[in-house]
Amino acid sequence: MKLATIGVGNAGSKVIDRMVEFESETNRNLCRHVHAINTARTDLAKPEYIPEEQRVLVGDTNQKSKGHGVGGDVEIGAEVMSADIDEIRRAFDDIEIHNVDAILVAAGLGGGTGSGGGPVVIDALQDMYDEPVYALGILPGEYEGGRPALNAARSLQSFVNKVDNFIAFDNDAWRARDQTIEEGYEEMNRELAARIVTLLAAGETDDTDVAENAMDSSDIIRTLATDGVSSIGYAATAVDAQPEGLLDRWGGGGREDDPLDDASQATKIKSLVRRATNSRLTLPCEVSSAERVLVVISGPPSEFSRKGIESARQWLEQEAETVEVLVGDDPRENSSRLSAAVLLSNVSDAPRIDTIQNQAVDAQEQIAEQQAEREEKINNLITDENDDLDPVV
Amino acid sequence: MKLALVGVGGAGCRLVDTIRGLESSGDRQLCYGNLLTIDISRTDDDDFDHVPRDQHVTIGDTHREVDDGVAGDQDLAVEVTRTDFPEIQRELDEIRMRKLDGVLVVAGLGGGTGSGAGAVLVERLQELYDKPVYVLGVLPGADEPDSMAVNAARSLRSIVPAADSTILFDNDRWVDADAEDRFDQPNQELASRVLTLFARGQIDPEAIGANTLDSSDIIRTLSPGGVASIGYAATELETGGGLLSWLRSLFTGDDDEESSQRTDAGRIQSLVQQSLNSRLTLPCEVSSAERALVVLSGPPEELSRRGFESARQWLEEETETVEVLAGDDPRSGSSTIAAVVLLSNVTEVPQIDAMQRRAVEHEVDAEAVPTATEDDAS
Repeated sequence: MKLATIGVGNAGSKVIDRMVEFESETNRNLCRHVHAINTARTDLAKPEYIPEEQRVLVGDTNQKSKGHGVGGDVEIGAEVMSADIDEIRRAFDDIEIHNVDAILVAAGLGGGTGSGGGPVVIDALQDMYDEPVYALGILPGEYEGGRPALNAARSLQSFVNKVDNFIAFDNDAWRARDQTIEEGYEEMNRELAARIVTLLAAGETDDTDVAENAMDSSDIIRTLATDGVSSIGYAATAVDAQPEGLLDRWGGGGREDDPLDDASQATKIKSLVRRATNSRLTLPCEVSSAERVLVVISGPPSEFSRKGIESARQWLEQEAETVEVLVGDDPRENSSRLSAAVLLSNVSDAPRIDTIQNQAVDAQEQIAEQQAEREEKINNLITDENDDLDPVV
Repeated sequence: MKLALVGVGGAGCRLVDTIRGLESSGDRQLCYGNLLTIDISRTDDDDFDHVPRDQHVTIGDTHREVDDGVAGDQDLAVEVTRTDFPEIQRELDEIRMRKLDGVLVVAGLGGGTGSGAGAVLVERLQELYDKPVYVLGVLPGADEPDSMAVNAARSLRSIVPAADSTILFDNDRWVDADAEDRFDQPNQELASRVLTLFARGQIDPEAIGANTLDSSDIIRTLSPGGVASIGYAATELETGGGLLSWLRSLFTGDDDEESSQRTDAGRIQSLVQQSLNSRLTLPCEVSSAERALVVLSGPPEELSRRGFESARQWLEEETETVEVLAGDDPRSGSSTIAAVVLLSNVTEVPQIDAMQRRAVEHEVDAEAVPTATEDDAS
């Protein structure tokens, strides 16, 4: 499919940047239009693949932001974005909508700009275009604390209500160890970009390579049209890898001249899909709670096995407890990898979302309590015990 | 962020001079030359290294009670400042506030001018500008006259409610009684913390952190008002050895992989811990803070993600608040890792309680012996 992609805030812009990087590395052409929108001038300088003229700074004339972000405050994020909505609409006028199938808005939900401003941007897009608008939302990790959880819990409601699908990425599940701050985020964003691009780039070409079960954008749109929250699983393997248990009959060497027979190809496909489904999902969830499932097998067409695809589909129908399972292929003639991306659409059982909501409720109570006591506590601090001392002015 | 600096009274003016000096010698910019120093005196005897002559204003020179200054009399300072405010305003008009994020009023709260004129100034600045007005106030030391405690205690009652936030500095912690200029060391220390917290270096795409904190983050952290305290701790990285040698020097013999991962996180956490324990500008009960902000700076390859996360989490537990913002400030080639922590609206501060008690006792004594002369104000 062909997408217009828009990153809102720091986290969202970085993901879009990594998506463009991944598609250029793998010769895909998914992101036909790219925009980064932010309230912080410094963060807008970071993307490497989003052209300068496609970066929009909002709120630079707003007293509360002035090009320096919104301080992680969702309210200000929404306010600043709404105030500059005309500027954003003007930027979106450039989208050649006849060239895209859908619009994807990426945003982090824990901060202020993405979580507060994202829904405002989505409103504008829904208003301007008939094409579906999807969100790619990054949920804050538990370790990020109560305020981001509160921002995310509030913002998640707005996002899910406004978009045609909300694809979630849970920072907690992908929290890396033993990395520097910089590498940690880079790594997560790369993983996410690989999944989303592999999944959505299927059927992006106009002159479709001959593919038996070619996926096209209407299949993807149909699977995503659930108005719910989705999760993506992913697995990849080298094209010349042998399926498990099969010994190299030629005693090493000459593997490329030795295509696997149909049975082992089928096994390879099925086990790849199984591995993708059981992999670390972008949002850990109960697979059986999904309403619809879509699988994109991507790689050289010679590796595709109709039998493998069919048995993978049957297996998934059982796992996901739904008959709405589509498995298609996405031919990449020169690719050295065979990959499977599994989209679980409208998953209703995702423990992490419950945890965020509980964390948010606690945070909200604590914040309200502190606010209520604030004046009194300050007054106690600056007043002596018996109020003997007068203020100087 | 960009703040106009306004120094009031002898101590405040000297501190602004120190901050400006550090600014001009380093890469961190806070006021970009937008500063003003104000003193009450009969003579125009400014003696600054870095504040230009035309950015210093002397008021009260025609007031009959003013001599070398107000001799610790804060009520006199209030009167003079109100009368002569047009002179100050003329100078303030020279500052292009449109380009700035707010104002930082710098004052010693023990002196008559800093405590009295400072309070008037904060009030007036709030009327003049719709941007935050912060105060950087220096509390008098325990060995300074009790009348200074009275000045500071009364001044806090006016300044704290009027200012958007009042960052306090407890001189006692830093004064070196043996040094030639006992305030030189504390002034340097305070100036460098203020710059580390508020001022950024040049914007270089390479040097932008994954979680860069911007001026909006600082403004939001300070927005509850009240009193704030800044903590700071830094550690030198040994050249060549870097992290590991640092670890080994602390945890000798404890170098298997798992424990070194633990200590890696523990190390940044202990740095943040250190910044709160002995190294706060104003010692306070950390759990009484309403909001907090922490920035870790150092070479990017040394800023461990786990350390960063656990330090933030630890701070959230210590401060008992969910409003904790954390940022990184990568500085390639730097040989130190530093943590700067801002605790906003701290409400349990033993030093302030002690100061208030001293002030009340002094007032009671003064009333009991109304003829006693006050010669302690200098």
